[in-house]
Amino acid sequence: MSNVEYSDPRPARVGFDEWMELFDRVPDELIERYHYYGNGEAWSKYLFPPQTFAIYGMRHLRRLKFDNSLAALRMWGFVQNETERLFRARQTGRRVIATMGDLGAVPVIVNSFPHCVAFYPDCIWWTPFAMESRVLFDAAAELGVGDATCFSRAALGAFSKHSYFPNPDLVIASTGASCDDYSGVEQLVESLAPDMLWVEEPMRCDARPARPLEQLLVKEYERVVERMEKLTGHSITEDELREGVRRANRVRKLVARLRELSFRDAALAALEMMVVEFGSLHYYSDMDEWTAALEHLLATAEGRAARSERVLPEDALRVVWVTPPADPLFLTYVEDAGARVVGTEYVINQALEMMDESKPPLAAIAESFMAASLIGTSKARAQSVIQQARRYEAEGVIISGILGGSHCAMEGRLIADYVKAELDLPVLEFDVTSPSREVSRQIGTRIDAFLEVLRSRR
Amino acid sequence: MELIPRATFEQIRQERVEEIAAERQKGAKVVGYFCIYAPVEMVRAAGAIPVRLMRGGHAAEEAGERYLRADACSFCSACMGNFGIDPAYKQVDAVLAVNTCDMMRRLPESIGKHFGIPVFQLYMPRTSEPLPHRVAEFRRQLGLLAGDLGKLTGVSVPDERLESEIAAFNGLRAMLRQTSDTRRANAPLLAGSTMLDLAATAWLLGPVKAVSLIEEVLRMIAARPRPETKRVRLMLGGSMLTEDDRWLLDLVEEQADIVTDILCTGTRWFAEDVPTEGAPLDRLARFYFGRDCMCRRPNRALYECATKLAREFRAEALVYKTLLYCDPYAFEVKRLQQALGLPVLHLDTDYSTENREQMRTRVEAFLETL
Repeated sequence: MSNVEYSDPRPARVGFDEWMELFDRVPDELIERYHYYGNGEAWSKYLFPPQTFAIYGMRHLRRLKFDNSLAALRMWGFVQNETERLFRARQTGRRVIATMGDLGAVPVIVNSFPHCVAFYPDCIWWTPFAMESRVLFDAAAELGVGDATCFSRAALGAFSKHSYFPNPDLVIASTGASCDDYSGVEQLVESLAPDMLWVEEPMRCDARPARPLEQLLVKEYERVVERMEKLTGHSITEDELREGVRRANRVRKLVARLRELSFRDAALAALEMMVVEFGSLHYYSDMDEWTAALEHLLATAEGRAARSERVLPEDALRVVWVTPPADPLFLTYVEDAGARVVGTEYVINQALEMMDESKPPLAAIAESFMAASLIGTSKARAQSVIQQARRYEAEGVIISGILGGSHCAMEGRLIADYVKAELDLPVLEFDVTSPSREVSRQIGTRIDAFLEVLRSRR
Repeated sequence: MELIPRATFEQIRQERVEEIAAERQKGAKVVGYFCIYAPVEMVRAAGAIPVRLMRGGHAAEEAGERYLRADACSFCSACMGNFGIDPAYKQVDAVLAVNTCDMMRRLPESIGKHFGIPVFQLYMPRTSEPLPHRVAEFRRQLGLLAGDLGKLTGVSVPDERLESEIAAFNGLRAMLRQTSDTRRANAPLLAGSTMLDLAATAWLLGPVKAVSLIEEVLRMIAARPRPETKRVRLMLGGSMLTEDDRWLLDLVEEQADIVTDILCTGTRWFAEDVPTEGAPLDRLARFYFGRDCMCRRPNRALYECATKLAREFRAEALVYKTLLYCDPYAFEVKRLQQALGLPVLHLDTDYSTENREQMRTRVEAFLETL
């Protein structure tokens, strides 16, 4: 889309107050332009200043640093608006489907059905950090899930609170070769959900062909289709599913290009890129508008790359980030300390793989899912880190974990060992702490010391 | 007085480990496994010796922390440590691992990396509804396992041998059930801790030798007079209880009777038999797929099992012991309490010994309330 009415300032990461000033410069007609669900009515506008969302409880926004482009502002408005959007979906007659655990595959099917919206309760894990509040963790604790586990337990709290998303028409819970914390959360959600379909996620054995497991997945996805048909009364055609795959691929292609521009040219910072990557899971509950927001962002990033403009300094230390930090403040901290992220292994790579459009749709979805790092070995995951580190000449690797997170406890050291053995790169592993207003001093010092080591190796 | 002293079990186990070491010297292969989803019948049919790796222990846990983070479950850490400590673990030529919980799924990678032991990873669908495509995939996995075992031992897994192992293990399960069932009576003579020792020893001995030991225990039960005092009847549950957790059972049984359990190291191993109709691998696939565990989704079969056992054995309360960071079991405490409608004592701890007196206080206080 064209930015003729508004020109972005020189790329920079800006704080909350500065962003407010920038918002004041955005012409009203641009603010009026952006709506979700392709709806032109006032209720579907989403381009609000960050203050709006901070007032609604997202206190952490006051501490993060954001990209200063209009495209980023639009993206943040869209993303922050998701809770409202989901309730609007219900009000406007759409079916709201909670997809849990598979991180990227099932929404491709759900979104192929007319008037259906998929969302991930999993992504609520950021909410306690964004709100600087333990409310959702406390609610999960009341249902039996205490502190010594993954922050994804916030999803259980959200189900019990009934105010973060509407009661879904259907919960599609994937489990299998997945993390235990979330599988346990899914099990407890079963008693809170009106209807639940369990979907198997196979375990990938790298030494054996994946084809039989893809066939198993296709059977599982056929069950999803069948249940969706029952729910909606709509008999879906192969063409509709194929169109669903094509639309998802469009998003994945945009994300791939944005990753390249960010990792190679520092066209965007890590915070925005994390939001971008996670958008491939469920498109923040509006695929078309998310695609448009990404196109806007890509145009901005391409323009910057063409003009050799960077959002972070050219001499910033290059690191690959493993496992998404539940607290986004860590990304801001690391960038403030002089580093930039040139590769990510956020355990959602199945949502970034292109699907083969020449194959039957469910087979194509299954094939791309089998690339998921969560269902394979730590060695395979480390290989992805190593490849990215090589490609973008990373100088170090940061692994952010979660105390009590089942895969973090088992994988962190293995990944570090593999990376050190193959690349001789320093690795920093730390656990994200509970929601708070700042990065804990101890971890901050460790990050500072780690970056000092990287600098000294230059 | 105990039917069989703990020391006797320990001696039997020690002798069996020495025997296994001697067999290994002659070329036998030892396959270590962790959980009730490992098809031991196949291991024996392939000519290997199955050894269940179920030791905990504080020293092993500490040793294991060299390889895993401190927030890995205590059993996984202890497993890693025991490969360098425990005589039975040192005999292992290959590990048969089944993806039950996430940590157990990932443990073999660390075992392979740090100890160079080959791992046969058996994928079993975690979703519990026995849909044909899921059971068929598990059946295919068993076929792959047969190939792996054959490569290890040089012996294929013929149907007739599999049939005889299925029959032998079904016989062992039936004997263990019969023994456990003696606890249905008031004032049972068989302690819960002895039952768990018996099961653990039976796995190590194998069906033939174990049956004679169990027959001896049954004779002893029949010969002894039953005490007249009535004590509180308890059910045990939670993460796997290893031989190194017996102190807890002893502590509980100072004042109460453990009459049943929902443990994978107890009743759940011998609760059912491999069905008799169909080809051996098909039957094993159906049998193992159908076993219940908190890790399965949905896990309502284990709830049904717990409710049935609590009712049939007239349990008055549940002692539920979980290992630190064992999410699949720890998450379920509240729900299980609601489902059973019984008082529950939840103990969440690792293998450290420092907190035993605190545990004693909690156990005693709980029993006082009953």
